[in-house]
Order: sequence, then C-alpha cells, then structure tokens
Amino acid sequence: MTTFKRTLLPSLSAALLLGQTAIAQDVDVNALIQEAEKAAYYAGDDGRADARMLIVDAQGRKQMRQFTILRKDVEDNGDQKMMVFFSRPTDVKDTVFRVEKHASNDVDDDRWLYLPALDLVKRISAGDKRTSFVGSHFFYEDVSGRAVAQDNFTLQDETDEKYILKATPKQPESVEFDHYIVHIDKATSLPVLIDFFKADGSNYRRVETVSVEDVQGFPTVLRSKVSDLESGGYTLMEFRNTRYNIDLPDDVFSERSLRTPPLKWIQ
Amino acid sequence: MKKISHWLVEFSTQKPLWVYALLLLIAVGAGSQIPRIQIDTDPENMLSEEHPSRVFHNQTKRDFAMHDAIVVGVVNDGKNGVYTQAALSDIHALTDDILAIDGVIDADVMSVSTVDNISQEGAGTIRFEWMMPRPPASEQEALQIRENIERLPLFYDTLVSKNNQAAAIYVPIADKNESYRIAEEIRASTLTLTGNNTWYITGLPVAEDQFGFEMFVQMGISAPLAGLTIFILLFLFFRNLPLITAPMVVAMATVIVTMGLLIGFGFTVHIMSSMIAIFLMPIAVVDSVHILSEFSDRYKPGESASKTITKVVEHLFTPMLYTSVTSSIGFFSLMLTPIPPVQIFGAYVGFGILFAFAVTITFIPAYISRMSDTALTKLQATLHEGNSEGSRVARIARGLGHIANHYRGALLVTFGAIFVVSVWGITQIQINDNPVRWFKSDHEIRVADRVLNDNFAGTYNAYLVLSDERDMPTVDALLSDTTAPDSLDVWLDSVKESVSEQPRNERIQALIMAIDDKLFEVDSDEEIAYLDTIMAKADAAQSSMKTFQSPEILAYIERMQDYLNTTGKVGKSNSLADVVKVVNRELRSGEQEDYQLPGSSAAVAQTLLQYQSSHRPNDLWHFVTPDYRSSLIWLQLTSGDNQDMTEVVSLVETYIDSNPLPEGLSADWAGKAYLNVVWQDNMVAGMLDSLMSAFVIVFIMMVLLFRSLIYGVLAMLPLTITITFIYGLIGIVGKDYDMPIAVLSALTLGLSVDFAIHFLERARATFRDTGDVMKTMNEMFAEPASAITRNALVIALGFTPLLFAPLVPYITVGIFLASIMAISALVTLLVLPATMTLLRRWVFVPSK
Repeated sequence: MTTFKRTLLPSLSAALLLGQTAIAQDVDVNALIQEAEKAAYYAGDDGRADARMLIVDAQGRKQMRQFTILRKDVEDNGDQKMMVFFSRPTDVKDTVFRVEKHASNDVDDDRWLYLPALDLVKRISAGDKRTSFVGSHFFYEDVSGRAVAQDNFTLQDETDEKYILKATPKQPESVEFDHYIVHIDKATSLPVLIDFFKADGSNYRRVETVSVEDVQGFPTVLRSKVSDLESGGYTLMEFRNTRYNIDLPDDVFSERSLRTPPLKWIQ
Repeated sequence: MKKISHWLVEFSTQKPLWVYALLLLIAVGAGSQIPRIQIDTDPENMLSEEHPSRVFHNQTKRDFAMHDAIVVGVVNDGKNGVYTQAALSDIHALTDDILAIDGVIDADVMSVSTVDNISQEGAGTIRFEWMMPRPPASEQEALQIRENIERLPLFYDTLVSKNNQAAAIYVPIADKNESYRIAEEIRASTLTLTGNNTWYITGLPVAEDQFGFEMFVQMGISAPLAGLTIFILLFLFFRNLPLITAPMVVAMATVIVTMGLLIGFGFTVHIMSSMIAIFLMPIAVVDSVHILSEFSDRYKPGESASKTITKVVEHLFTPMLYTSVTSSIGFFSLMLTPIPPVQIFGAYVGFGILFAFAVTITFIPAYISRMSDTALTKLQATLHEGNSEGSRVARIARGLGHIANHYRGALLVTFGAIFVVSVWGITQIQINDNPVRWFKSDHEIRVADRVLNDNFAGTYNAYLVLSDERDMPTVDALLSDTTAPDSLDVWLDSVKESVSEQPRNERIQALIMAIDDKLFEVDSDEEIAYLDTIMAKADAAQSSMKTFQSPEILAYIERMQDYLNTTGKVGKSNSLADVVKVVNRELRSGEQEDYQLPGSSAAVAQTLLQYQSSHRPNDLWHFVTPDYRSSLIWLQLTSGDNQDMTEVVSLVETYIDSNPLPEGLSADWAGKAYLNVVWQDNMVAGMLDSLMSAFVIVFIMMVLLFRSLIYGVLAMLPLTITITFIYGLIGIVGKDYDMPIAVLSALTLGLSVDFAIHFLERARATFRDTGDVMKTMNEMFAEPASAITRNALVIALGFTPLLFAPLVPYITVGIFLASIMAISALVTLLVLPATMTLLRRWVFVPSK
C-alpha cells in the first residue's frame, strides 16, 4: 500500500501539473471568452424573442412576467441596442425598457424606462447593473450581458465537453461577488453554468442554461435559470419565437418606440 | 385511612433499608433524566402552539418572510452624530463582518450599507444605487448620506434616528438558538472598531438567550441557597445534625424526582418550572418539622424510637394529609390557566408536594428507627435544656397571644378596615407586563432597550395585517360561459387538472401560462379566437385579485397610518403605501408634492416593478404577499408594555369602527408585543378561574375535615384577609399586576391555609380537653403557636434566596411569597383567636 502510494502519487501530480501547463499553452483564453460572449449575446446582427419568467421565492410562491426582447448589434462583442416590452402581468403591460449597451468599461450603458400608467419616460442613471431585473433573480446584467472586458479570466480545467474558467472582476468594489466560475460548452461556445462565489468561498448564486436548441444555425438558449442558493428561490426564463437577422430598423430602438411600441416586431 | 398509615409506618420502621433502597431507586431513576434538560425562553410558549393568535403570528412571519432579528445599535453624541466618516466607516466595517457570519440571513440585513438609495440625478433621471457602497471618503460624503436617509421615510428613524445620534443594524438570523454565538461574534467585531462610538446589542433572540442563561444562574444559586437557609433554620430549631439530615433528604429527593420526571416526560424548563426546586424545598420539609417537633416532645429516653414515631405519624397523618392536599390543590388549580408553562409548573409542584408527603411519612420513620440510642439521647438533652432559639420563638408566640386575647375588638376592627381598603386597592390594580422588564434595570439588555428606544421610533414591533377574505375567481367559473372548440376538449381537461394542483391563489396565473403555451401550438382561427377570449378573462381576473394594488385601499392604509401617528402611542408606522409613495415621488419630480399615491392599480403595479428593480427586490414582500391579497402595516412602538400595546389595539379598533375597512378586508394583529397581550389576558382570566376554583375546593375540604361549616369558614378567613391585603397593596402601591404576581394568587391560597388548619385542629382538641375557652386560647399560644411560627419562618425564609436572583420575576416571587407566608401566619394567630372567642357560642360547642 505504502509503496503504491509512494510511486503513484508523484507521477500522478506530475501528470496533473503537465496537464495544466498543456492547457494553459494550448487554449487562448481570450479568444474563448470572446467566442462565448458572441454566442450568448451577439448571435446574428439582430434578433427578437418572447420571454416568460417564472419567479419562485424561497417558499415556492410563483409570479410570472412576460416580455418581448428586441436586439440589434452595433458591432459584434461591442455596442448593442435593446428594447424590452412587457406584456404580462396585464397591470404592467406596455412598460418598456430601452438600453444602449456600451461595451467599453469606461462608458456606462444608457437606460430609459417608460411607465404607461404614470405616462412617464424616465432615464435611469447607470449606477449599478447588478440589481434585480423587475424583481426576478436575474440581474439587469444577466439580461443585457456582462461585458467580458470587465473580468480577468483564467482557465481552470478542461473536459471533453467544457472549458471551465475562473473570472475575477477588474473592479471588485463594483460587484457583489468575489469571483465566478463559468463552464463553456465546447460544442456551442455558450456559457452553460456560472457559479458565483463570495470571498469566503461560498457559492451563493448560480446561472445555468437548462436547454439549448439550434435556431437558424445559432445555438440558442431556450430555458435558463438563476438560483439564489442561499434562500432557495429561483427564476426560470423561457424564450420562444426566437428569430435572428430580421432587419430591425434603427427607429425601433428610439425614444418614440417607448410610447408607441412597434407592434409589428413584438407580436 | 388510619390502617394505611399504620401499615406504612410499621413497614417503614421495620424494613427501613427497603425504604432507603426504594427512595434511592426512584431518585436515581428520575435524576438520570435531569441532564437531558432543555431550557425554553421563548415568551411565545406562554401560548399553546395551537392558539389562534400564535398560529396567525407564525403564519404572518411566513407570509411576509420575517425572521427574528438581533438589533445592533450604535450611538455617537457628537455634533453630526453617526453621520461622520469615522462612525459610518465603522458601521460599514461591522456590517461586512456581520454578513460574513454563518447563520445570518444576508439578504435581509438592514444597515446603512446594505440598503438602496433612490434619488434624482438631474432632470428626468432617476438613480438606484447602494446607500453606502463603501465607507465615506470625506465628512462631506457622510453628510450626503444623511441627506439621502432623511429623504427615505422607510429608513429615517428606523436605520438612523431623527436626532442623528443613533444608527441601527437589523440582523435577521435563521435559527434563534444560534443567537448567542452570532451576538458574541458581533460583539467581538465591535471591539476591533476604532471610531468613538458606543455599541449595543439587543433584540428578542439575544434577550431570550440571556434569559436562559440567567435562569440557569438562578437555579444554580437560588435553589442551593434555599436549601442552605432551610438547613440553618432547622439546625437552629433542633440543634441536631443527624436529625435534620432527614428532612433535607426528603427535600432533595422531592426536588430531584419532580425535576427528573418533568424533564423525562419531555417538558422544557421554562421560567416557571425553573422555580420548582425553590418552591418544593420549603414545602417539602414542613411536614417533617411537624413530625420532628412532636417526636422530640414525646420521645422519652429508653423508649422504642420506632414505637414513638409510629404514634406520632399516626397522630399527624390526617392534618398532614389535608395540608398537603390543600397545598397541592392550590398548585393543581394552575392547570386551569390556559398558559402551558404555568400548567406544567402547577402540575409538577402539585405532584411534588404529594410526593414529599409520601416520602415524609415513610422515610422519616425509617430514618428515626435507625438512629442510634446515643444520638436520640443527645437530641433529648439538647431540646429539653431549653435552647435559646426555641424560647425566642415561644416568646414571640406568647406576645402574639397577649395581643390576640386582650385586644379582640381593636384587632377585628383594624383587620376589617384593612380588608375594606384592600378591596378598594384591588380595583386599582394595573394589569401590565413587559418581558424586557424581567431583566433588572441595569442589565445590558435593559440599558440597550432604553438607549435605542430613546433615540428611535421604537424597537417593539407590532404588525397589523390586512387581508382580503373574499373568494377568488375560480378557473371553472371563468371557463364555464365560453364554449370551447371540440378540438381543445382534451387539452382543457388536462389544464383544469394541472391547474387544480396549484395553490388556490396561483391557479389563474397557471391558467394564463397554459393558455399562452397553447397559443404557440395552435393555428386554427377558431382555436385562437377561443384561447384569446379566455385569456382576456383570465387576465382580467388576475388583475382583479390583486387587492393591495388598488390606490383606494392603499389610501385607506395611508389614512390609518396618519391617524396612528397622531395618537402618540406609535413611534412610526411603515406600510406598502409608504413604499409606493416614495418610488412615485422619485419617478416623478423627487419633490414633496409628488409624495403621494398614484391614481390607478396599474400605476401602483408599475411603481412597484421599479421598487423591485433594486438590490433588494424581496423587501417588497415584507409589506405585501406576492399575490397582493394580504398586506402588513409595521408599527414601531417605543414601549413593550402590554398596556401600551393594548391601547394601540383599541385605538385601531376605534378607528376601524368609525372608518370601516374596505369591503372584504379583515384586520388582525401579529408580532410579539401583541402576543404578550394575548397571553396576559389569558393569564388574568385563567388566574381568576384557578383562584376561585381553588378557593371553593379548599373550602369544601375544610368543611369536610372539620365536619363543621363554621370551622370551614374560619379556616378560610386568614388567607382571605391575607390575599386581599397583598393584592390591595399591589393596587395601592401601583406595582404592575404581571406574570409572577398573577401566578401566585392561587397557590398561596393552598399554602397559607396550612396555618389555619393546624391552629383550628389544635384549638378544638385543646377545648375538648379543657372545656374552657380562655384556657384553650392560653394554651394555644404555648406549643401550637410556636410550631406555626416555626413553620411560617421556614417557608417565608426559604423563599428569600430568590431575592438574590438575577431576574425580576424571581425577586417578585420571593418577596411576595415570603411576605404572604409571614402575614398569613400573623393573621392566623391574631384573627382566628379573636374571632373564635367572639363567636364562641357556635365555635366552642361543649361535647355532649
């Protein structure tokens, strides 16, 4: 037994060490995350999807929100325009978010809000993007996409199907996490599992892809889930009617669309 | 009866070792359970688990996701109070430490650094951000935080006091059994802070924890001290160590067996049951004192100790049985009070008294039969040389006799007057309690409580829950008046079934999702038209169910809050209406003129959608349930006194009477401050029941014992005067009628009747011998009065160690019992002879 250990352990750890060096040499982490960001948030030049969220709290009480997302890229992995039109529950129907996402770390996103019942358009100062998206467990940043430029990535591990990367924020004071571990599917380049950790090493939040399907040649997330691992609450998001490259005109993403939704694109 | 006692004593004196072995076996068996002790300090347990108010309270806690919280307070009396760079940095650092502690519910921690600020950033721009994401970099930034807090009514006077001098961190914890560890970790963190602030740690879980600790201290100190006191008293009376070991064994065995059984049967030790030991010890030795007194009187050297003790026990058997039974009835009557800890206390002390009686009449004879002749001779010698202590008691007794026999009229008039004044005093009694005041005034919990309530709107929470009780639209009704295309029948059946598995308030929502799913699949126009129709109905039904999105209903809440704020009884109230108004103001201009409710349900819904787009989306669910059918108004009270809570409850009742609740709504209370009121009301009503029933039962027993109505009345006379006097005094002095005071009424009845029983029994026997009233009375103030005085001293002084206890209720019990015992002995010795002499025609009927 002892002999076995003595001979096996050094060779095993040597192999592991070699393996890691090999990964670090072989994989271009930067290219990997760029590819993942593109797959997750920049498929096609533009796109639409009907989304339905089911927010389930720690006690299992459920709430539903339904909305349509329109998106148009200014450039891949770069700036982006986005509109979110709410349809349910009916009392928030026609509430709209308009986002102009800026990929650069130095420029904050521009965000506007239209509340029909208050007949009010309001600009939202960037402040913080890691706030709840309309009461769900998703953050605004999960919907619009956290720019990869905000974090430093290192490859942790590689399996047959996945790359596993560790991301640490460049501006730790602007986020609530210490680091996150992201699993990127090799076949689709989509991030399929992201675990967020606190400084004490506890995993308190999880974003996961539940199902993926091919839409017009783009691997597309149909269901995803964000879980609050501390309370047990979670939000399930389903996407339907996803379409890409539909030639959304620029004026759809204007302030005018807030009060007069472009029905053609959202039904 | 006599046969049983005879057999028992015979057996005990002949097979003493058997008695020893049996007692040892029982004590060891029951005592082995004691290490399983579980302390219960939750005031909620004053109500049974099924009590409707308690059930509602816990349902409210669940519905609104509330947890018990530790409250950390910080006070800085500098010019800018806590709004300094140093103080806020400390708050920030401590909050970070708190968030890192296991068992803290991070998402609900309320601190300046964990809440969101909503503000205006130039025209038309709203900004959501952390109130204090990092320690302020300058005094300027610290003052900016002050400005921000003062704009947000939910935080102002809750997170930071209006005078700026105090800030609070609310730390909800998952398990209140962890509160000690968490509070200690917080305390350790405060020690590392450098700012010039004073920190306080309090909150109900901490208080309960402290309480449990103090209970152990009480049991560890007061109970042994009571044992010691009794031991010293017995030694002064009998001057014979081997002899007084016997009653001490009886007391110890009684306490061990009673506590062992209580714990063994799975009951927790509550504040009441923690006093069992100190109650049982003096009561348990009283019978022994009688036996030993009479034994040492009757025993002549050279006689058989076994024979003498048999005679003594047989002679005392009936009075001892009756006094034990009456005492235990006083305690058993507590079981009529609907307060579980009080019931358990009553049941086990009642049992303990009967157990002590059984042990006394077996163990004491067994013990004495085994005493060596030399020890017995020594006992005789000491007692008969007339020790000074005995004569001092005798002198007091004779003095009392002199007064009783020479100032009859004056005595009766005086006691009559005292009685009348006392009855008036009882009508003045203030019923009030506050568990925080169970700690002594200088206890850190009391200090923190005072400081925080002086600064803040109040740390006592009461919750007024408004709920829509009307029926919700059902899926069946909704689908019934639209004819579905045949092609959808199968689908419809499966939907109905799956929807019915959902909670009632989520069925319409589930139906909407099912219809929505189906709309993606179908393409016939007929099917789409049908689905659209029922979807429109479902949407409308869903909106109509959300009662607390209605501006009219929020306006009702707003008016009620405005009213409560004018009463002076409520420090501050917080509600869904406040949330909506703040967000509405910030969405519009940020100016005070927009601090109002928006005009439609949709506007409320959209406002709340924004409120939820924060770092703390779930804060909303502390004020309304996700189905919007139940909403909570959080009242902060600066006083936890039941009187104040009761007044708030009646203020709200009055308000609702003149401003009826919107149709279909009901209002109910939750929160610990309210539960305290509920159990106090139960206690007061229950105590009256148990006092009355104990009085009646003891009276009947007295009539049976003496086979005379007049003797029955006489036996009840001293305790009636005593109890009336004590409670009258409480009313006149203005001491609150609280938990300990309430509990003691019934049980003192059972204890103080003992003196009367012994006095009357001996007086009647003496009269039978002498046939002369005056002679009888003179003899009564020789040996019998001394015995009564002796026993009064044992019981009264036996309770005095409670005066050294760390918690106020124990002290109250100590003072109360000691004085009631002393006074009732005094009243017995003064009033009974006077009355008996006055009524001699009926009392002293010469034997035929």
